[in-house]
Amino acid sequence: MSEKDSDAEITLRLGAAAGDGIQSAGEMIMKVLSRSGMHVTTYNGNQSLIRGGHVWFHVHASTKKIYSLGYGIDFLIPLTQLSYDQHFEKLNQGGAVIYDPVAVKIHDLDPKVMQISVPLADIALKYDKRPIMKNTVALGSLCAAIGVDINVLSKAIQDQFGRKEPAVAENNIKAAMDGYEMVKKQTRPLKNIQYNYSVRRPAMTADYALALGAVAAGCRFYAAYPMSPASPIVHWMASHAKKLGITVFLGEDEISVMNATIGASYAGARAMCATSGGGFALMQEAIGEAAMTETPVVVVDVMRAGPSTGLPTKTSQGDLNMMLGISQDDFPRVILAPRNPEESFYTAPRAFNLAERYQVPVIILLDFAIGDGGYSTVDNLNFAFEIDRGKLLSTPPPAYTNGYWFKRFAITDDNISPRSIPGTPDMMFVAKTDEHDEWGHDLSDVLAGLKEYLPIRRRMHEKRMKKLEEIKKEMKLPEIYGPSGADISIITWGSSSNAVREALHELHKKGVSVNSFEFSDIYPMQEDEVRKILSTAGIMVDVEVNYSAQFAKLLKREAGVEINNFFLKYDGEPIYPEEVEKHILATRKEVHAIA
Amino acid sequence: MPLLNPKPFESDTRADWCPGCGDFGVLAALKDALQKSGRQPHEVVVVSGIGCSSNLPGYIRTYGFHGLHGRPVPVAVGIKNANPKLLVIATAGDGDEYGIGFNHVVHAARRNDDIKLIVMNNEIYGLTTGQLSPTSKLGQKTKTSPDGSIIYPLKPLPTILGAGGTFIARTFSGDPKHMSWVIQEAIKHRGFALVDAISPCVTWHNIYDEVKKLFYRLEDRGYKPDDENEAYKAMNAQDGIPIGIFYRREDKQSFQERLAEINGGRWAADNVKSLGSEIAQSLVQEML
Ligand SMILES: Cc1ncc(C[n+]2csc(CCOP(=O)(O)OP(=O)(O)O)c2C)c(N)n1
Ligand code: SF4
Ligand SMILES: [Mg+2]
Repeated sequence: MSEKDSDAEITLRLGAAAGDGIQSAGEMIMKVLSRSGMHVTTYNGNQSLIRGGHVWFHVHASTKKIYSLGYGIDFLIPLTQLSYDQHFEKLNQGGAVIYDPVAVKIHDLDPKVMQISVPLADIALKYDKRPIMKNTVALGSLCAAIGVDINVLSKAIQDQFGRKEPAVAENNIKAAMDGYEMVKKQTRPLKNIQYNYSVRRPAMTADYALALGAVAAGCRFYAAYPMSPASPIVHWMASHAKKLGITVFLGEDEISVMNATIGASYAGARAMCATSGGGFALMQEAIGEAAMTETPVVVVDVMRAGPSTGLPTKTSQGDLNMMLGISQDDFPRVILAPRNPEESFYTAPRAFNLAERYQVPVIILLDFAIGDGGYSTVDNLNFAFEIDRGKLLSTPPPAYTNGYWFKRFAITDDNISPRSIPGTPDMMFVAKTDEHDEWGHDLSDVLAGLKEYLPIRRRMHEKRMKKLEEIKKEMKLPEIYGPSGADISIITWGSSSNAVREALHELHKKGVSVNSFEFSDIYPMQEDEVRKILSTAGIMVDVEVNYSAQFAKLLKREAGVEINNFFLKYDGEPIYPEEVEKHILATRKEVHAIA
Repeated sequence: MPLLNPKPFESDTRADWCPGCGDFGVLAALKDALQKSGRQPHEVVVVSGIGCSSNLPGYIRTYGFHGLHGRPVPVAVGIKNANPKLLVIATAGDGDEYGIGFNHVVHAARRNDDIKLIVMNNEIYGLTTGQLSPTSKLGQKTKTSPDGSIIYPLKPLPTILGAGGTFIARTFSGDPKHMSWVIQEAIKHRGFALVDAISPCVTWHNIYDEVKKLFYRLEDRGYKPDDENEAYKAMNAQDGIPIGIFYRREDKQSFQERLAEINGGRWAADNVKSLGSEIAQSLVQEML
C-alpha cells in the first residue's frame, strides 16, 4: 500500500462481474471527471467473456496533466466479493471502499481506509425489479465521496440513456441521487479538489483517436476483420460511415482485408486496416506485396498478449519482432508506436504522408492498454495538417512513356518513382509482386538469371531498400524527460512511456537522479543520432511490456547500444508507475552498493 | 482523347506461355471482349495472382496488378470499392482461385461484388510443373499423384451458385467466339461474374482433344439461364461438357450499389481530403 494524499489527484476502481455494466459505469465516472476540468486516464480490466467472471475499470484523474494510471487506488467500488478480494490490497491510506454489505464482506483492510457502507442493491430495487442500477447508485455514492457536483453525473446519465425511453434515465438519476445523499450523510468529501466545471475535456482511446486522425488525413477506405483490441476502430468507422462518407469493408479474413486495402490504395484511396497480432500474422505476405508493388498502405496492430490467441483482452508490446521481420526477404517498412491517444491522432496523418511519399507500408503499433479501454483526455486537437501525396502524377513526363506503358518503377535520384492511379489516361502500368524492371515488366520468368538482367534486379532491390535512408531523416529521436546527465536513464517506447514519465516525477521527489528516453518512432532508426544521444545516458534501464526486451535488442542491432538492466512485464497487465519506481530504487541501491 | 490506336488493348509484351497453351485463347478473347465493351484501356484494371495464367496482365494493355497467389479477388474488390467507375477483371488459374484463394471467391459471390473473375481452369498447377489442382480428376496422374489422384475434384460452379453467385458461366479456349461472347456478357452483368474458362495445359495435362469431343453449347439447346434448379442440373450434366451461361440474374444489387447507400457515393479514391473544421469539431464533441 502506498501513501499518497494529494488533493490534486484521484485514482478509483470499479469492479464487478462482466454484464454488470462496469465499463459503461466507468466511462460515465470518467466523463464526470473530464467534464469537471480534470485530466483523466483509464484502463479497462476486461476479460474475454460477455457475462460473469471479473472485470474492472480503473480511472486516474488529476488537476494536472497526467499520463498513466497513477498510484494505487483511492476509491474502490467492489460490486462483488471477488472484486474486493482482487483489489483491496492496492487501496491507498486516506481512501475509501464503497460497498454493499449484502454483497461484500470486508476483511484485512488497512484501518486508515474508510469503509462506506451503502445498500446499493436495495436502493436499486426501488427503481426496477432487478438491481441492475446498483452501479449507478455506486456512482452517486462515489460523487459524494470525491466531492464532485452530482449534477454532472445526472447529465452524464442523461447522455448515456438519452436514446432509451425517458423513464430509464430518470430512474437512474434518482438512484444515483439516493446513493449520493446516503454517503453525504455519512462523511464529508474525502478529497478537497477544486473542480473546474467550465472546462470540459474530450476523452478518447488510442483506437478512436487514430480513427479520427486517419479520416482527418483523408482516409475514406477502412478494412477490418474483427479482433480485440482493434475492434473499436472498425466500430467507430462504421458508425461514422454515413456521416463522413467512409467505405468500410469487413473482409472474410485478414488476408482479404490486407489485399483489399492494397487494392484500394493502388486505386488512389488513402486506405488503412487494423488488427491484432494473430490477424497481422495473416497479413504479412500481403505487406510484402505492398512493398514490392510500392503501394502505400497504413496498417495498425493493436497489440495484445500472445503468443497465438494469447490473452485477447490483456496488453503487451510483444509484436515488435514480428514487425521487424514481416514476410520474406528484405523490404522497407516504417514502424511507429504512438505513446498515448493524443499522439495516435497525430500519428495517423504522419503515417499516410510517409506511406505516400515513400510508397511503403507504414505500421502503427498500439496496444490494449491505450487502445481499447484506455481513455485519455486530449486537449485542443489541431486538424490543420498537410496531406502530402508524394509523387502522384496525372500526366506522364514524356521520358516516362513508350506509347504502351508508363515507366512506373523508374529509377530516380531519390529512389522514389512517380506514381499514377487507374483511370488516368496514358499512364498504364502493371504493379508486380514478381521482381520487375522499371516498366513493371516481369524479371522472374524468361529473363531471370540472364547476365543483362542481374544488375537490373540488383538496382530494383536497392532502389526499394534505399528509401529507408531518406525515411530515416524524418524519424523522430527519443523524447527526453528529466535532467541531462542523470545517474540512471530509463529507455522505453510506446505506451510504456506513460508509466515511466509519471514514475520519474515521484523519483525526482525522492531525490533520485534519473531521466528517461521515450521512443515513439521505432524503425527505421537514425542509428548515429540515437547512439550519440544515448551516449549521454546514465546506467540504462530498459522498460517494456514483453519477455525478451525486443526494443532493447533492436537498439543493439541498429545503434550498437547495449542495455543490461531491464524491467520487463509480461503478465498481461500494463505497467504502473509504482512498479517502475520500485525497480529504479532497487537499481540505485545496487549501483551504490557497487560504488 | 480520340483513340488513334485501332487495337488499344494490344501490348508490346509477348506472352511467354508454351506454344499451344490454352491461355493464349483467353487473352485473345478478353482483348476482343474489351474492345467491344467500348471501354478505354485506362478505365480497366486486370488483376491476377500467381500461376502461368496469372501472367496475363501486361500481355494486355490496361492497368494491371499482378498480385499474390490466390489473392486477386480481394485486391480487385479493394480497387472496385475505392473507385467503382473502373472495370475490374480478375484473371487467374484453378489453383489460384479454386484452391488457395477459394474463400475469397465464395465471399465475393455472396456480396455480389461488381468484379469479373475469369478462371483459367486447366485442372493442374502449370507453373509449379504439374501437381494436382482442386479440379484434377479422380485417378489423374500428376507429379504429386503418380498412382492416380485419390481426391474427388471440386465442383466450383454449383458451389458458387450456392454462395449466391449471380452470373456463372463456363467457356472453352477452343471456341474463341464463344469465349469472347461469355466475357462480354460478364462485363455487362450487374455484380459478380464467374467465368470458368477451360484452358488446357498442353505441357502437363493436355485435355484439348477430350474437351473438343465432349463440349456442347447450352444456347444451342435452347437453355435459359434464369432458374437456379435448372442451373444445378445443367452444371451436373453427365452427357458431355456443357459450356455457356448456366445462371444469371440482374435483379440483385451489387455490393457497390449497396455501399453507395451508406457512403453516399463519396468514393475513397476521389475523397482524399481533410475534414471541414465544423465536422472535425463535432467529432471531438462526441467524445466530450
Ligand atoms: C503462397 C504461395 N504458395 C505457393 C506458391 C507456388 N505456386 C505458384 S503458382 C502455383 C499454382 C499455380 O496453379 P494455377 O493457379 O492453376 O495456375 P496455372 O499455372 O495452372 O495457370 C503455386 C502453388 C506461391 N507462389 N505462393
Ligand atoms: S505449363 Fe501449361 S499452363 Fe503453363 S504455359 Fe505451359 S501449357 Fe500453359
Ligand atoms: Mg492451373
